[in-house]
Amino acid sequence: MTDAAVPPPSPTLEEDSEVELRRLLLPDPNLLILSPPPSAVDSNYVHYFIAGTSLYPSPFCFSCLESYVICKLVDFLKPGHDQYIYRHANGLCVIGLAPTHASLSEGGVTSVDFNVGKSDRSEIKVTGKRKKNAQLLEPNSALCKVYASDNIYIARCCIKGSLLEVNNRLIKEPGLLNSSETREFATQGVYSPRPIWTSELYQDGGI
Amino acid sequence: MGEECMLEKQLVEESIRQSGLPCHALRDLLSIGVCPRCIFRLFGVHGDVYSCLSLSSSLLWSVLDLSNGHEEATDCKVHEGSSSPQDLKVGPEFCVVCWGILQLSYDEQAQQTFDLVASTAQLVKGEGFEIDSFSLEVSVPPIILGNERSVWLYMKKRYGSESRFQDKFFSGSISVKDALRFSITKSLEEMLAVKVAVRSFHIRFTYTHSDASSKISLVQGSRTDGHKKQKRGDKELLEGIDASDLEINKESFGLDIAEQDRIFQVPPAKVNQPCKVTTLCYRTPVYVGGRYLKYSRNVSQTRWIIDEERMGETSVEEIIGNLTLSILKADSYKFHAAGREDIDVRMLGSGRPFLVEIANARSLSSHTEFAELQEKINNLEPRIVRVKNLKEVGVDAWTILQQGEAEKQKQYAALVWISRSLEDEDLKCMSSIKEMDIIQRTPIRVLHRRSPLERKRMIHWMRAERIHGSKQFFILHLCTQAGTYIKEFVHGDLGRTHPNLGSILGCRAEILQLDVTDVKMDCFNS
Repeated sequence: MTDAAVPPPSPTLEEDSEVELRRLLLPDPNLLILSPPPSAVDSNYVHYFIAGTSLYPSPFCFSCLESYVICKLVDFLKPGHDQYIYRHANGLCVIGLAPTHASLSEGGVTSVDFNVGKSDRSEIKVTGKRKKNAQLLEPNSALCKVYASDNIYIARCCIKGSLLEVNNRLIKEPGLLNSSETREFATQGVYSPRPIWTSELYQDGGI
Repeated sequence: MGEECMLEKQLVEESIRQSGLPCHALRDLLSIGVCPRCIFRLFGVHGDVYSCLSLSSSLLWSVLDLSNGHEEATDCKVHEGSSSPQDLKVGPEFCVVCWGILQLSYDEQAQQTFDLVASTAQLVKGEGFEIDSFSLEVSVPPIILGNERSVWLYMKKRYGSESRFQDKFFSGSISVKDALRFSITKSLEEMLAVKVAVRSFHIRFTYTHSDASSKISLVQGSRTDGHKKQKRGDKELLEGIDASDLEINKESFGLDIAEQDRIFQVPPAKVNQPCKVTTLCYRTPVYVGGRYLKYSRNVSQTRWIIDEERMGETSVEEIIGNLTLSILKADSYKFHAAGREDIDVRMLGSGRPFLVEIANARSLSSHTEFAELQEKINNLEPRIVRVKNLKEVGVDAWTILQQGEAEKQKQYAALVWISRSLEDEDLKCMSSIKEMDIIQRTPIRVLHRRSPLERKRMIHWMRAERIHGSKQFFILHLCTQAGTYIKEFVHGDLGRTHPNLGSILGCRAEILQLDVTDVKMDCFNS
């Protein structure tokens, strides 16, 4: 949502309420100029690009870096296993595979499995305001397994925090990851990170 | 002066007759230290005698002497160690039952009743209350009941055999609180120039006594003595005690007879100080209701402060509440509304019902012009808030507000952008949607403070309105069930709301602005 550049028309008390309503609902022309307008995902979240360290980064990863604010290199990810984190103003984070992830370039993802050995991440049931039963995970904990043409990629959590929910739709519709339009819906999970992580990020990425 | 004395003496004589007590019994009670008002009230006397200013033990003595002068020597059974009429004049003596509460006039302290009434009137005027009535609330230490019981037992022991007493106990005895009301209501009505009525203005007298608290600790001490105390316990029928005494048992702290005998002396012991009184006057909350409209996208509904920093310019609550507070000259306010909207969402159309609860208003709400207050609020610059149908409402308004909130439908107008051109088929498609169910997972923007749930909600109808000169922007009017997150319905919240506008139209959709155009509730409509 964008703020109006011009203050909204002020109401006069004498007008009939129906007439006044119609007048007030007329959109400010300044808003209609931006096409496309910034999306909800762009304006409500800070975007982080997480990539594995490598001496020879893939050329692809720089082109899409424009839409990301901060890039963080970590050592627990193999090169090419690029992920993103969208951090909301309230601290919650959404994790997913970046468009440059290796699995996406080889013909696509065939299936996603949240069963990572010790537990099935899709089976968690978090309840209540205090988010009981949320699993506390480490940055290098496995989030899910992504299968793409004979290769298995492991998506990691990338942050230390409690996992609130995973995107079960990916189990039935792993193809969401493949097309760029639906990739937005293909987030892996929603996290509630510990406060300490946010300060780490600020130190590394710089604001 | 002579006439008044005569009148009062007549009242006293009439009351003695009403009580049905013989003179020797009356003298006995006076001699153990019970004040006249307590004597009369315990034996069910009604009438104007309570408000007699000069009603005191010495007056009662003199009336008794006059009426039964020759019987005095033979009939009066004076308790050992009690004071005779002459002793009463030596130093202040406080009633052993009410501990001074009903002793509004004394020899030296004849000013006491005037003090209570006068100080109350001063308090009311000093606080600036505008009143059309008043009602009295009294709170006394519960120990008084124990003292009453001691007096009953005393009377029973000494006069229980006389048949005329058998049916007198408990029938029609008046409580201390009622007796106090009888005593001061007339004088207060004169001083405040209004009549007693249970309406909005209350005066509360709270009586306390230091001995009362020490007796209570005695009682509590004996309670923790191992054995269980039951209120309706096994009725120990001691000799000479019958069911009516066990009735006092129930009231008196749930102790059995033996315990009470241990703590409360028979007859009751004397005290050195009277009860202390605290007077408080207050008005019950005034409820002001109406509907509000919000024209700004930078004003929250209620005061919103994070880490000492205010979010938004101001709040609807403060705009309406502060002005109402100053007009009614009150202490504080509480703002309630039927639902809420985000800070960047305007509230237009019919307005949202709200309620302001005003505490301790000094002005009379019936004398307040609410139309004027509404004008004042609407004319504040800058024009952020508008109020409609402002008026005083009853106490049940809050319940009505809460009930309607979850059931009612809300109507919105949103400025929407889609990633392709808007076609006529899209307009038809959206108009044809009626009563569609959607499932919303808790939006991420509120997930940090709300439970993660899947909420099933209903879109009742939708209508798209083209914007002149634009292919991809349009205004979406929709009517939904209460509790639907509209922004998430439009942009999909990363797929967590399904179906959403993008999935219905088969493209990406974003919302730029949102306005609430109608809150369909059946209250504060006029």
